[in-house]
Formats: sequence, structure tokens, C-alpha cells
Amino acid sequence: MKHAYLYSLFGAALGAALCLPATARAAEPIKIGVIAEAAALGGSAIPNAAKLAAEEINAAGGVNGRMIEIVEYDDHSSASDAVRAFQRAANQDKVHAVIASYISEVVLALEPWAGRLKLPLITPGAASDLITKRVHDDYNNLKYVFHGYLASTQISDAVCESGKDLLIGQMKAKTAVVVSEDAAWTIPLDEEYLKCLPKIGVKVLDHIRLSPDTTDFTPIFNKIEGIKPDVMVTGISHVGAQPTVQWQQQQVPIPMFGVSSQATTSTFWKDTNGAAEGVVFNMFSAPDVAVTPKTIPFARAYEKKYGVTPAYSGYTAYDDVYMFADAIKRGGSSEPDKLVDAMEKTDWVGTIGRIQFLGKDDQFTHGMKIGPGFITGLMVQWQSGKQVTVWPAEAASGQMKFPSFIKTVN
Amino acid sequence: MRTARLLPVALVVLLVMALLPFGVGGYVLGLLTLAYYYGVFAMAWDLLFGFAGEVNFGPSFLVGLGAYAAALLNHYYSWPIWACLVAGSAAAVVGGVVLAVPALRLHGPYFGLVTLVAVLLLQNVIVLFAGVTGGEIGLDIPDVLSISDRVNYWYALGFMVISGAVLFGLARSPVGLILQASGQDAVEASALGFNVAKHKLAAFCISAFFSGLAGAMLIFYLGTASVGTVVDIGVGVQVIIAAVLGGRRTILGGAIGAIFLIVAGEMLRDLGQLSTFVVSAIALVVILFFPGGLLGSLLRTEGRQ
Amino acid sequence: MVGLQILIDGFAISSLYALGAIGFTLIFGVSGVLNLSHGSIMVAAAITAWLAAGDYGAGSLGGALAGVAASVVLSFATYLLVVRPIQSSRAIPGEEKEIFVLTGTLLWGIMLQEAMAYFFTNSPKTVRPLIAGVVNIMGVRTPANEIVTAVLSWVAIGLLWLLVNRTRAGKALLAASINPRGLTLLGFELANIHLLVWAIYGVLAGIAGVLLGSFLGVSSDNVGTLTASAFSIVVLGGLGSVSGSLLAAYVVGYLETMTAYLVSPSIRTVPVLLLLVLVIYLRPQGLLGRR
Repeated sequence: MKHAYLYSLFGAALGAALCLPATARAAEPIKIGVIAEAAALGGSAIPNAAKLAAEEINAAGGVNGRMIEIVEYDDHSSASDAVRAFQRAANQDKVHAVIASYISEVVLALEPWAGRLKLPLITPGAASDLITKRVHDDYNNLKYVFHGYLASTQISDAVCESGKDLLIGQMKAKTAVVVSEDAAWTIPLDEEYLKCLPKIGVKVLDHIRLSPDTTDFTPIFNKIEGIKPDVMVTGISHVGAQPTVQWQQQQVPIPMFGVSSQATTSTFWKDTNGAAEGVVFNMFSAPDVAVTPKTIPFARAYEKKYGVTPAYSGYTAYDDVYMFADAIKRGGSSEPDKLVDAMEKTDWVGTIGRIQFLGKDDQFTHGMKIGPGFITGLMVQWQSGKQVTVWPAEAASGQMKFPSFIKTVN
Repeated sequence: MRTARLLPVALVVLLVMALLPFGVGGYVLGLLTLAYYYGVFAMAWDLLFGFAGEVNFGPSFLVGLGAYAAALLNHYYSWPIWACLVAGSAAAVVGGVVLAVPALRLHGPYFGLVTLVAVLLLQNVIVLFAGVTGGEIGLDIPDVLSISDRVNYWYALGFMVISGAVLFGLARSPVGLILQASGQDAVEASALGFNVAKHKLAAFCISAFFSGLAGAMLIFYLGTASVGTVVDIGVGVQVIIAAVLGGRRTILGGAIGAIFLIVAGEMLRDLGQLSTFVVSAIALVVILFFPGGLLGSLLRTEGRQ
Repeated sequence: MVGLQILIDGFAISSLYALGAIGFTLIFGVSGVLNLSHGSIMVAAAITAWLAAGDYGAGSLGGALAGVAASVVLSFATYLLVVRPIQSSRAIPGEEKEIFVLTGTLLWGIMLQEAMAYFFTNSPKTVRPLIAGVVNIMGVRTPANEIVTAVLSWVAIGLLWLLVNRTRAGKALLAASINPRGLTLLGFELANIHLLVWAIYGVLAGIAGVLLGSFLGVSSDNVGTLTASAFSIVVLGGLGSVSGSLLAAYVVGYLETMTAYLVSPSIRTVPVLLLLVLVIYLRPQGLLGRR
């Protein structure tokens, strides 16, 4: 009899457990796939930040009672590995959305698959303008793709905008050489640099594209020095720390200013043995600036958990998880089409600013809105082992200063 | 004898493989689809190495030529898929001949290095002419074979089986025996009156044909052609490892090795980054302790019984 | 001005190439082995030096020594765990040993590369230079570290020359690279010679790796390129020929530097590849190789 009692108790518990999902079939977890290269700094920040966001959301009770589950895939930054991971995410692991990569080449390869498999996809770090252009041109098929980072053109504009104050105002620069690595994301970046720099009054003397496999930058710096520009405006990411290190070792007397993705990570100082001193680079959020009330708490929590401050793709990946969660909450469903509808209506204050996605008639369909009140961008400089924000003035925590081998006008 | 005994086993395995789409999910199928194309790369490589005795470090030169020829024609001129496949395999054969005619005078590491350089040059050309080839981004292909996992799987399986049968038959034919003889001792083979150079060139062309065709089909499956997927040295390394792992001089071993590599990599996915490390370690252990490879060891134990 | 610049930069790069390639060619000369884990060993030396100098406070010199030590350890591991088992295996027919050694060392190299990427990420690391600052050589601003690189490379090469020509063990080594079988007849233990050559290789590759790490910076992604360039230089110079490798290293180094300065940095390696194909076709034994 005693046993029967126990059984019935057990049965009731089991029944309750079985009924729970039935109460709204909503307790089924929301699965978000994260595809990135774990061995790369920009890559590892993506799953790390996504997991942090998921933990926070789950600790606060989840989304309509559903927990968020992050499923990680390592693509070794290879397009075919990424496509395989994406197929697995869709067909096997049945994820509801994917956050993928910081490399434009990889995202461009995934884009058609997001359409074919109808799986919402956002990239927290790839910058090519083609990503949103394809959505614009083939909206019905590719509407599942969102751009969670700025398009290269927008990044150039942000750099030029800061140049009014920093290049013209403080450095009194009149001439520049544009130096970029040869990659998908720098094609529109360079095009826009060549347009917007002259507009703010900086003459572009030359435009150099370097192979991403370059290891010896001496000839390039040598050539640039021969042209005698006041500043080098950069677009470097995959070539990594080497140009910076050689710039310092060879004491190239021209400041580096612009986009330098690896400089956004906190390990950059150590990896370059401090050669980063004086490098000025663009970021959309920094660990020392309250871009929004969420920025600093996120950077602190991330540093506490992982021991380093997040790379640029970490901020956006963190926001991406929240935006998906928010869209599922508002739309009440994780079905692909409903999720896309809800994502399009996103109005979310994240760590990088207030995020809204542009509509299908805009040039950057599903790209983020930029400008005052939305996302503006910062210029940050490495100074004595710290990333110091130097622009805009209201966010700045310090003034630009350069190592002694740099010749600036002031 | 051994082959005859294995035949029923092979038929059963094939039947299971053909019926697999009714039993497993789309993802596993996608994985195997890729593995089958790699299997063809590895089998084509084995014809050259295992039988002609030439270490081709650049299988991805032939694969890449086929893939990019097909991709460019489809992207710019919208040729139908079948025409692109024909053109792709033709391009690989032509490229193979251009490479092989002078290279076959060389041996060992010299031949190896020339084939390696061929890959590096092809890669440089693709990146330098990024305006046409898409460079590092790669070229997107408007047409795909199919978006159905099952159909793609059957295409790849059928292709692998046919290629395997042709290559295997060829290796067992008198031509294959001459190749094998000339690979082991070219002087003796030519003393016996065989035109060694001609046979080796033929082997190179056949290897190129299947590599190029498989490369072209692969990009119509993936929907993009990029250096990283069809040209990179890493692709060639995978092919060589698959062939040696599966068992050189067996042809079919290449397919087994390729399937093993991709499936093992996937089963170890939970290790994340370390999966490549573990797969390489397993492959190293196999070649150290079972130099006959997976299929070679199997055949030998069969033979002993 | 550009001419002098090319002369100086080319010299530093070429000296590094030479150092990396000499060990590679010695091993081939003595035991017929092409070690495709070469790049991984060089990068491992650089990363060890970076780690020891930075995280463990060993200083520049201590770091460099740690890097070379790591390279020697890995060199022995390559020989004892991968190469020797293949060479002594009875299951592998003699004429196929070569491809097995190539595949085996390649796999081993991939394992090292993946392990480094796992623990230290694939972002490039720079070894702290032994001497910082720049020196002005007739108007060309040259990093002191670049001069250190060239000098140390030549010191190492000089020491190797002394070892080979002035010591008994060295002479045996030289003899082994010319005719291994004859040496055993003379009563030398070939196994000891092999250990010696792998030790020398480890030291040379280690120094080359550490210097490269301080001169240009290295990441686990560079492994393939480093192996391929050593392979090319050695074949260009003539497999097994030390002086050939030296010459080829300078040809390659200067050709690359000239292309980078005078044509375009993005096609830096193309002329070398073409030259290589040409030399292999016209003179397969390489520049100074013997047949």
C-alpha cells in the first residue's frame, strides 16, 4: 500500500512534468546557433558574449517562460565549414536563429542558405555592404538575413566624421594614404574613404591594398613614407597585429588612424608587446564609455567571466541575443517568418546604441540605422596599455597623444 | 579471390547507403554528400600515387580548375549545369596535361614540389584577378544541383559509385598493372616494352578528369566557389590524408578515408577547436601502426583467414 | 635610397630564410626526410619565447633560450615519435617510406598547429626584440632588431660550419649526408648521427623561429607558408646541399623583397614560384645540387 502511495505520488509528479510543456508548449527552449572561429580573437568573443546574454535572460526567467540555449559551432573561419554548421543548425539541432561570424566571406556564403533553409541569421561583425545589398535586391528570399554590424560604407563615414575633429582639428592633417587589406569588407570601405576624406578636407595621396597574407610590411611602410602623408587611414582586420608591430619597430613617423579590428581586443597590447601605443581606431562601444547604460555593465561582466574585455564582435553578439529574445517576446513566436517580422520592428537599446533595422526600400535593407540618437561610433586610442576613448568629446576619457617617433604637426 | 568475397559485402553496404535518406536526418546527409565528393578526390589521387607512384601534392589544383571553370561559366554566361560540368572537367584535364607533360620527367620531391607550386600559383591568380574570380570572397553560383538534401545525396552517392567503379576497374585492368609496375620500377617496366610516360600521362588525365568533375559538382552543391573550399592547400592535405588513411593502392580506400575523416570530425564536434587535433592524431596513429590504412588492414585480415 | 633599402631588408629576411632552410636540408641530406612539421616547430619556438618573456618574466634573452629549448624538444619528438617509427617499420615498403614520412610529419605539424591555436589563439604574437630602437644606415632607418636578426643568423650559421668542419661528430655528419652506407661500414653508429642532426635542426629552427617572431611576428596560421618556403628554398638550392640552400635563401629573399618594393607587395611570392618551376624543369638538381 505504501508503495502504491509512492507510485501515485511519482505518477503525479511525472504527470505534472509532462503537462508542463503542454501548458503552452512554450517551455521548449529557444535555441540560438552561434557559428564562429574559436581560435580567433574576434571569433571567440561571439559565443562568449552570446552565452553571457543567454545566462542573464535565463536568470531573469527566460522569454515567455522559455529558456535560451546557445548551440556553438566552430567554423575555423572557412566558408564550407560554416555552411555545414549552418545546415546542421537548421536540420539537426533545429535552432530558431543563428548568429554567425565576423568575416564577410563566411557570411556571404551563408546568406543564400539562410534563404533556402528559412532560418533567421544575423552577423555581429562582418561588414561588407554586399550583405545588406543582397537582402535589398532579393528581399523575398533573403529577408531572413540581418546585419548586426555596420556596413563598411557606414564605418568609413563614422571614421570621416571623427576626422573632422581629430584629423583636421587636432592633428592638422591635410593629406592621407589609405591602407587596407585586400578583402571583401574593405572594397566598399575604401571606396567611401576615397569619397569622404576629401569632403572633410583631407587629400588622399595614394590608396594601397595589401594582401591578407602579407607578413613583412616594411616595403609598404617604406613606400608610404616616400609619399609623405600626414596620416595613414587604415582598414585592417585579418592581417592582424603584424603591421602595428612593424610600424612601431621601424618607427614609421606617420600615425595610424581608422579601422583596426584586432586593436579592439584587450589582448592586443600583450600580443604586440605594447607596440599598439598610439594607434587610433574606430569602435562602436568601448569598455570605458557609457555609450548606453548597458555598455559598461556588459564589459565588466564579460571581463569578470572571461578575463579579457570583449572584442568588438562581443558587444554586438550580446545585443543580437537580446534582440532575438525581444523579437520572440513581442511576436510571440519563434517561427521564422514571424521572427523576421518582429525583428524588423526592433527598437532596442543595446550596448552599442539604439538599434533599429532599415526597411526593404533602404539601400542597406536589414542594416542598422546610424546617426545621432542611434549608433554613432567612437574613436579609441591605445595609451600605456589602456584603450582610451578620444572621440566624441562628450564620451572622451582622454586626449590623443602619440609616441615620440610620430611626427605630428602639433 | 579476396575481391570476390568482398563483393556481397560491398553490395549490402551500397544498398544501405542508397536507402540512408529514408532513415537519417538532412544534416547527416549533407555531411555524407560532402564526404562523397572528397571520396572522389581521394580516389582520383590514389590512381596517381598508388598506381603511378607519383606523389601529387596539388590535388586541389585539378579540383580548383574544374570548380572555377564551371563557376565562372555559370556565373557570367549562365551556362546550364551539365555544360559547366563538362567544361569544368575538360579544363581540369587540359590543366593536368599542361602540368604533367613536363612534370612527369621529374620524380619524388621534385614532382611533389611542382604540383604544390601549381596550387600556390592558381591561388595567386584567383586572388590577383579578384575582379573576375571574386578573389577571397569567392564566387556565388546562381544554379544549384538541388536544394533537397536527399537529391543532393543521391547525386553525390551515384557519382562516387560510378567514379569508384571506373577507377577501380581501371586499376585492376592491364593498364593499371602496367602503371603499378612502372610506379615501382620504371626502368624495368620500360625494358619490358611499355611506354611508361604515356601510361602515366593517361593516369594523370583520368585523375584530372574525375578531380575536376567532382570539384565542379561540389560547387554546384555548395552554391559558392571559393579558394578555401576547392583550391587551398588545406583541401589537398585533406585529400592526401584521406587516401593514405583509407589505404593507398586500393582506390576504394580513398572513399572510406574521406568518409571517416568527415564523420570523425563531426562526431568530435563537441571538442570544438580540438576536433582537428584529435582527427589528425588518429590519422597519425593509423599510418604509424596500420600503414595499410583502414581498407588495407581489412583486406589483409580477410586474406589471412 | 630604395636600392639600399632593398639591400638591407633583403639581407635580414634572406638570413632568416637561410637559417630556417639549413636545418631542413641537413636532415634531408642525412636521412632523406622532408620534415613537413617545420613551420609548426618554428612557430612553437616563437610562441614559447613570447610566453616565457611576457607571462613568466624571463626577459628577452631568457625567452629566446626557452624558445630554442622548446624547438629542440619538439625536434626530438618529431624524430622519435613520427619519423623513426616509420623508418623502422617493416610493414611499410621502402619505396613508400617517403610519402609516409611526408604524411606523418604533416599530420604531426597540424596537431602542433591546432594545439597552439587552441591555447594561444591564432592571432600573431611578437617576441620582444633583444635590442629595441632604430639605427640610421646611410639614410635608411633600420630597426636595431633587424641588424640583430641578420647578425645572429650568421653567427649560428658560422657555428654550424665550425661544428661540421672542425669536430669529429660534425665530420661524421657531413660524411653521412654524402654516403650514409659508407659511414656505417666505417663503424659509426648511424643512429647517433641521426640524433645529432635532429638536435642541430632543432637549434637552428628554434633560433629562426624566435628571430622571425621578433622581426615580423608569427601566428599559428603562418605554419603552412613557413614550411612551403623552406621546402622551396631547399629544392631550389639542391636537396641536401647546405651551400645551395644558403644561396637559394638569398635568391628567394632578394627576389621577394625586390618584387615587394619595385612591383607590388601583393604579388611578393609569385616570381619566386615561377623561378622555382623554371629551375626544377631546367635543372632539377637545383642550383648547387649534385646528382
